[in-house]
Amino acid sequence: MAMSKSTNTYNRQNWEDSDFPILCQTCLGDNPYVRMMRDRYGKECKICTRPFTVFRWCPGARMRFKKTEVCQTCAKIKNVCQTCLLDLEYGLPTQVRDSALSLADEMPKSDVNKEFYIQNMEKQMAATSDGSTAGGVLGKTKTHSEMLLRLARTTPYYKRNRPHICSFWVKGECKRGEECPYRHEKPTDPDDPLADQNIKDRYYGVNDPVADKLLKRAAAMPRLEPPEDKSITTLYVGNLGDRIGEKELRDHFYQYGELRSVNVVAKQQYAFVQFTTRSAAELAAERTFNKLIIQGRRLNIKWGRSQARQGGLGIGGIEGLEGEEVAPQPLEPVPGLPTLPPPPEELQNNFFNLPSQAASIPLPPGQAPAVAGAPSIRPPMPPGQAPPRPPVPPPGSLPGGPPPVSGPLGPRPPPGPPPIPGVGPPPPLTHGIIHYPSQDPTQMGANPDKK
Amino acid sequence: MPKVRRSRKPPPEGWELIEPTLEELDQKMREAETESHEGKRKVESLWPIFRIHHQRSRYIYDLFYRRKAISRELYDYCLKEKIADQNLIAKWRKQGYENLCCLRCIQARDTNFGTNCVCRVPKSKLEEGKIVECVHCGCRGCSG
Repeated sequence: MAMSKSTNTYNRQNWEDSDFPILCQTCLGDNPYVRMMRDRYGKECKICTRPFTVFRWCPGARMRFKKTEVCQTCAKIKNVCQTCLLDLEYGLPTQVRDSALSLADEMPKSDVNKEFYIQNMEKQMAATSDGSTAGGVLGKTKTHSEMLLRLARTTPYYKRNRPHICSFWVKGECKRGEECPYRHEKPTDPDDPLADQNIKDRYYGVNDPVADKLLKRAAAMPRLEPPEDKSITTLYVGNLGDRIGEKELRDHFYQYGELRSVNVVAKQQYAFVQFTTRSAAELAAERTFNKLIIQGRRLNIKWGRSQARQGGLGIGGIEGLEGEEVAPQPLEPVPGLPTLPPPPEELQNNFFNLPSQAASIPLPPGQAPAVAGAPSIRPPMPPGQAPPRPPVPPPGSLPGGPPPVSGPLGPRPPPGPPPIPGVGPPPPLTHGIIHYPSQDPTQMGANPDKK
Repeated sequence: MPKVRRSRKPPPEGWELIEPTLEELDQKMREAETESHEGKRKVESLWPIFRIHHQRSRYIYDLFYRRKAISRELYDYCLKEKIADQNLIAKWRKQGYENLCCLRCIQARDTNFGTNCVCRVPKSKLEEGKIVECVHCGCRGCSG
């Protein structure tokens, strides 16, 4: 019996002989007239270890030569490029694709099982497809994932084809200088998890550091969480511009469900779109968030606020998104504003843990304590209504301390944010910073004990 | 250069004029042959051999065709004794191959796509500032 490889075909696995490789655009390079070398049975497939036809080519000027690494059967089973093992459709690692499409690939990894599995897959693929569709579980799924579209590159990434870093140069021993075809660059950090990849893990989609990075990036993408309150069916639509009106919004949003109302605030260029059902609103939010473009404008989608909490914002109000919404700017409290009488109902509450006897004393409106959390816009004090002070500061009140607002109650603990020292309304001892001319005691004429 | 003189015939007239130079080149060749390959790339180790071979053929070629300093007999003797490379000189006489570095660089059958060596590409056709060193003989460009 002849024992040479060409004649002995007994029990021999099928050796792949192909005319064209299965490659992604990046691996092919930017040259449309690429020349390739074909080597029949030149190497063994790095996954199934069967000999296959190796293709080798240069993907453009100043790029390194690339070659196919896995056989076409293995590439078709996972729908990946034969060279870079990234998905052919999205250009993403198999782990990312499988987790996004929630595919569970039970490809066996032990020798005999793998051979049997691949043999079956080959039979299946030969029977069902013309070779242009993916095999395996992927070929059967029809789902699409937004996340994949978002993560995928839209243009080929040719930097991946650059030459490797010159190992001699890293050691400081490269003598080739300018004509060295390898890159003279600082290598990446070896502690970086991305530096430790291997072809089998990437193919099977386990422990892939690149996939981990991409999945982390996907998790960090902005998302629109539906609010807790199930009664909210309103979406805020911002960045309308001048040309987008109610009609355009209706035309777009009615596809997600019946609309109850569309309220356009043309002046501020936003609108509130209210649906009749919550599910329709959720669907609309999911489909349109960060994606909706009408008349060339990318619209800003947020959830509306609940009816109960809405303030003076018209019909909806904006649900405060985490950090994204314009938060009310914390204004520095203007010092030296005269103290205000609190709203009368607050007087009834014992805010400051005062003894009940003291709290029960109704304060005259002019002698109210400074109230914590008073509205930031205070009405101006009517002139001549500066609170009367005892002529001598009470013992224990520091000069420049809290303003003596006590009246008959004596000193009180300063409520809330302490008043800025030295600028209490009528400064008893110090001359604080004067913000407004009207605060200037010399101009006010109502300052009998000015020293 | 052959190690053994094959013909018993005495060399023609003028041999004593070119002999010292040829001896010197021969000596250089010996040195290149015995030089260590340490620290060199695989392809690099043969480059000095090719260079000295080119230099020696070039010497005879120049003496006969350019300066016309030696006789036909002496030139034929040098070719017969394999002092000069007959095939290389034959290429030099063709237009476009005047400076050819070695015969391997125009052997298109040895390349993947049936092309000549990169050192045969004219400098103007190469991209600006690119330095080439061909793998066959270390030539940095022999095509004008």
